[in-house]
Parts: sequence; structure tokens; C-alpha cells
Amino acid sequence: MIKDMIYDRPESLTDVKTHYCPGCGHGIVHTLIAETIDSLKIRERTIGVAPVGCSVLAYFYMNFDVTEAAHGRTPSVATGIKRVLPDRIVFSYQGDGDLAAIGMAETIHTANRGENITVVFINNAVYGMTGGQMAPTSLIGQKTATSPRGRNVETMGPPLRMCELLNSLDKPYHIERVAIDGPDGVRKARKALMTAFKAQVDGKGYSFVEILSPCPIYQRLSPVDALKFVGTQMAAYFPVGVFRKEGTVVNA
Amino acid sequence: MLERILITGAGGQGVILLGRLLASSAVEHIPHITFFPSYGAEVRGGTSVCQVILSAKEIASPLSETFDSILVMNQISLENVIRQMKKNCLVLVNSSLCKIPPVSSKVVSVDATRLADNLGDTRVANFIMLGAYLAAKPVVTPLQAEKSIRELLAGKNMSLIELNIKAFRTGLES
Amino acid sequence: MATRVLMTGNDAIGEAAIRAGCDAYYGYPITPQNEITAFMALHMPENNRVFIQAESEISAINMVFGTAAAGKRAMTSSSSPGISLKQEGISFLAGAELPAVIVNVQRGGPGLGNIAPSQSDYFQATKGGGHGDYHQIVLAPDSVQEMHDLTILAFKLAGKYRTPVMILTDGRLGQMMEPLILYKGTPPPMQRKAWAVNGAINRKPNFIRSLYLVEGELETLNIKLQKKYAGIRQKEIRCEKRLTQDCEVLLVAYGTSARIAKGAIASVRAAGIRAGLLRPITLWPFPYDAIARIAKHVKGVLVVEMSSGQMLEDVKLAVNGHVPVFFEGRMGGGVPLESSIVKKIKSISRRKIMTGH
Repeated sequence: MIKDMIYDRPESLTDVKTHYCPGCGHGIVHTLIAETIDSLKIRERTIGVAPVGCSVLAYFYMNFDVTEAAHGRTPSVATGIKRVLPDRIVFSYQGDGDLAAIGMAETIHTANRGENITVVFINNAVYGMTGGQMAPTSLIGQKTATSPRGRNVETMGPPLRMCELLNSLDKPYHIERVAIDGPDGVRKARKALMTAFKAQVDGKGYSFVEILSPCPIYQRLSPVDALKFVGTQMAAYFPVGVFRKEGTVVNA
Repeated sequence: MLERILITGAGGQGVILLGRLLASSAVEHIPHITFFPSYGAEVRGGTSVCQVILSAKEIASPLSETFDSILVMNQISLENVIRQMKKNCLVLVNSSLCKIPPVSSKVVSVDATRLADNLGDTRVANFIMLGAYLAAKPVVTPLQAEKSIRELLAGKNMSLIELNIKAFRTGLES
Repeated sequence: MATRVLMTGNDAIGEAAIRAGCDAYYGYPITPQNEITAFMALHMPENNRVFIQAESEISAINMVFGTAAAGKRAMTSSSSPGISLKQEGISFLAGAELPAVIVNVQRGGPGLGNIAPSQSDYFQATKGGGHGDYHQIVLAPDSVQEMHDLTILAFKLAGKYRTPVMILTDGRLGQMMEPLILYKGTPPPMQRKAWAVNGAINRKPNFIRSLYLVEGELETLNIKLQKKYAGIRQKEIRCEKRLTQDCEVLLVAYGTSARIAKGAIASVRAAGIRAGLLRPITLWPFPYDAIARIAKHVKGVLVVEMSSGQMLEDVKLAVNGHVPVFFEGRMGGGVPLESSIVKKIKSISRRKIMTGH
């Protein structure tokens, strides 16, 4: 028997029109985070930290406390909140420029201290808000505003794999990479976010979820092809999976 | 009253501790006190200098250009400050490690390092110097100084505190 | 007399922060302020407060931002090059209207400079430092006692106005020891934190932001900030006046320079020269009016600074051409000598006053 299902907007999500571009991954991830917060019943004690980038306006969609942070300093701001309010649930929401370029030091050191926060990393291999410049995670050969002939490894270095990098540290509790390239990927992303937030609720320590995400505009693809790019080309360089589970390395 | 004291020696000889101790001994009864340390870039082995000013009036600068007393713990430091040893200045020299300087100041020689060695620890030479200085210029009473030694070393083991008190008294009587 | 204790200026700041109810301190090593970080590392945990040695000055100021956003009291300290790194964060604190205390134990610059005391960050501290139309309150102690007292005041003002407050001092005041009386009061009260992000329980969510993309929104914020600054200018100017009633030469100096100026004044007064001192305690807001009033009846004004003449510009604005303004300064870690200040005072006192006009 098929039970009637009513899909509601999560309470943690506000009822507004999106400003994100058609085919953007942010909306999906915002919804997944809101669902996670709802199902853990932590909306009233959750504090989000928004980055600089397209998702700087994330608070617009989030029906719980959110603060902005300076570019890349998101984990430091989250640390400053969590340490004085240890019973609150604090997460940072960061893009690839914020997390892996300007905020690399903060990313590494926050993870290395094992701060009991959750970091949600949206990797779409490009800077969005500033107009499609090369990100630290842009793929080799990827054309962007600042790599017009494609990313050249010789002069620009290869893309950074953040899960693998963080996995060399002792303190992280959960590290996982997912790709929202289709319904299956979205389901896995929801599960990963649940694991990560649950870890924080249980006081287990630092959790990190990298989400490979479409940006049709600056990946220079149609929305459908952007999903394929995420699921094939990006996932080929950035393998999805659990890297750290309950504090133990599972995919070195 | 105005007493401007320069204390100098090798890093590790306890010059800074000596200055701090003198300053804290005066806290209860001298209205204005400054203590100012300066070090070389080296953590050990370089020259260590500090100044203590005890005054009835407000102190403009914690660094003075002229001194009423100079305490010197080793030869290199002595050579650095020999020009400051003016006529009205009292100079205390650790004669175990320094030559007596040919200056017009009143020079008191204290065999501090050797006396410290006799007590069993070369490091207490600084408090022997303090004792000798207070014997020559009683700006604070021995009782106040001993109280400060006990406060400064609070938490350390009793035998160490007693050793330092003993060193201070040795200097006082030297 | 209350019991006095002997402390370094840096320790006196740390002790004051704890007594002012500082919930979290974030630091990074740099000379000559390391004593503060070490003091806090030892004593914050003892008081069940937060201490983190951050990975950089940048991270530290942003941890301050997080703690302030959560509605708690936060402090960071550094010295000149490190304070330069914090400027973006200070601008964000000002824009988001968050209370915080920042200590700058100045050293010689520019660049890595040296570790000697200096006052060459005056422009940076009082004129903005970071980007945007903002001010921070700047407090300038001239003794170890004031290092302590003004830190208490800094927390009070930060909370009252929801604004960053800087203690602008230097390596000499930080490292020297003097006796002081410790603050015995309760922590200054903070405003009701209806704005804090501390969990949306029985209220609508709070958002702390400094990005305003809708046309006109950012100007509205700026107008609000300027109103706040006008109120601070009206109520919070502090200065010490010494022997200014009858003075014919007015000295203006703050911090370490002011102490040396005091020595010079005592020495020229003994020789019958009527010199006085106005010592700004708040560098922003600056005591323009107090200086202007005294300048009306003097032969000349002498500004003493450990810089190329930064506060000098504000003093000239205050004096507004009524009398000549002279300068005695040292740079790159140099400290003015009492003897050279005395010489300048003497030469100003010999000036013939122009009458009429």
C-alpha cells in the first residue's frame, strides 16, 4: 500500500523565492541542511556561519540564527561561537574559494583542533559570485575567467583535494565527499549531512562534508550537462565516499 | 627620595629576578616604582639589563640616563656600563667574575658567585648581590626583601626558598 | 590605601580583561605583547573562560567576531604588524556592530620594524585602519594602572556602543612594571543581546551581517553608524589636564610620550617656565575642543610623539592656526628625551606673543 505523502517545506527553510541561478546546487543543499536540522530538532539552537561567495546570502533562506563572516574566516567565526556556546549546533557553509584558497589556514587549523562543529563545503570548481574565476578546485584544463586557456598544471598547480588533505589530520571525526548529480547523490548527501550534524550533537568533534555541486553558468554548461560534469569529470578527480568514519580513516 | 638602580649581567644570572624582587620589596612603602627589563636577542648567554626606579615623586620615564646605584654581575656587562659609573654612584661588582673598574664611583666588591658556590648553588649569586646592595643602601628593610623572596618563590620547594633567603642574608653580612 | 601589586603593563591588561568578564581571548605570538597571551593562556582556563592560540592574527580577530556575534565578551591582542592583519576583521566588527576589545602594544615600523616602543600606528588606529567609513574608540594609557583601568573601560564602552574598542599602547608600557590597584568591581553590564546569534528560541532568527546589496540599505547603516559616532564624540572624550590653567606653553602628548612630557614640565616649572600638558586619554574621539580652549592663551603648542607627527595633525586641526604648533618626535622605536623636550619648551616660551587681529 502506498501511503499518501505530503512533502512540506522544512521549518528551518524560509518561504522566499531563490536568488540562485537556474540549476545551481546551493538550493538543494540548503534544503538538505534544513531537513537535517528539522529532523534532529535542533533549529532553535543552531547557528550557521555564511561565507563570502554566492551563498553569502544563505541567511535569507535559513529560519535560524546565521552570521556572516569575512572571506575564508568562516571556521574561525564558528570556533568563536562554539567555544562560548558549546551546547549550540554551529556549522559553517563554505564554497571552494572561501574554504580551500583564502581560508585554507583556518580550514586546516580548525579541523586540527577538532572543533566540535560541522563544515559544509560546496565544491563547484569555480568562483561564482565574482564572475567565474578559477577556484583551487577547478579541474585541469577547465576554462574560467582567469584560466581562459584552461587550468594549466605547470603554472597553476593541480586542483586541491580537501577531504584527502584533511584526512591526514588526527582529530576529525567524520569526513565524507558526496556529489549531488542526481537523486541518488542527493540522498547520499542528506545521509552525509545527517551523520555530520549528528556527530556534533553527540559531541564527537569535527565533521566535514564536501558536496560536489553544479554551477551551470560558470561551469559553462546547460543545467543537465552540469549535473553530468559533476557526476563524471568532477567525481573522477574528487572520488566520492567516506574518508573518515567515527574518527577512523577508512579510505586513505 | 629618588633611587635609580641599574642591574646588569649575563642572561641566566638572575638579573631580571633581582630587579623585580627589589621593586616588589618597595611596593608597600615607596609611592612610585618602575621596573624595566631589556634583553638581547639571545634567550641565554646574552647580556641582560634592568632598571629599577624608586621615587617619592612621579616617575616620567622608567629608563634613566643617570644612576644612583649600579649592580654588575659579569665582566662584559661591566664594560658596557662603565661610562655610567659617575662620582655619586654606588657600584656593586660581582668580584668573582669582574675586575674592579677604575672609576670615581664608590665601588663595593662582592664575591657573589664564589659565595653562592659555597652555599651549593651558583644561581643564588643574584640574591647575594641584593643583600650586599641593601646593606650599603637600605632603601627597603631586610624583612621586606625576605617577604618578597618568599612571595616570589611561593609554590617552589621549601629548601629552595631557604637557600635563597640564606644567600640574601650572606650578602647582607658580606 | 588599598593593597598595591607589582605587575607588567601587559599582565595588568590581561588581569583587567578577566575582571571585566572577558569570556574568550584569542591571541597569536608577537613581541612585545607576548606576556598578554601567556597570561591569558594561564589564567583564562583557571576562570573557566576560553583561550585559543590561533593560527594567525587574522584567525584570532575572526574568532573574536564569532564570540562577539554570540553575545559574549571577547578580546585579542597583538603588536603593530599583527594589528595590520586584523584590520579587515575590525572593519567587519564595526560594520556588524559587534563589541570587542583589541589591544595594540605598538612596536617600531613600517614593515617588520623592530620590537622597540613606538606610537606610529596612530593614524591606523584613529582614522579607520580598515576599509569603510567607521571608527573604533581608541584608549591610550600612560601607566600600568591605566593599562588596567582602561581595559575595564574598554569592555564597558564596547558593550555600551556595540563597537570595537582599541587599547593603543606601546612596548615600553607593556613591559615595564609598576604598582597598581586592581579592579574590584563587577564586570561592566552588557546591553541586552537581542541581536546575538545564540539560538532562535521563542524569537525570530537573528542575522549578523555587514553585506547590504539592496540599494540604499548600506547608506542607511552608515547613517546609523555616524549617529552612533556623534554620540560617542559627545559623551566619551577623556583627557588629563596638568598645569594648563596658567600655562604659556601647552604640550600635547599621550602614552609613553606623555610621561616624558610630564617629566619635562616638572623640570621647566622648577625653572619658572609655565608649561602645561593636555594628555588625550581617548585618541578617538579626540579632545579637539579642550585643546582649542587652552591654545587660546598660550604662546605655542608642542606635540610630543614617538612617530613622524601623526597626532600632530589632529592637534593642528584643534588649534586651527591660532598659535604655532611645534613638534618633538622620534621614529623607528626611538623615545623622545626629556632634555630635548625641555629645550623646545624653553625656545617656545621665549617667543613674543603677537597681539591684535
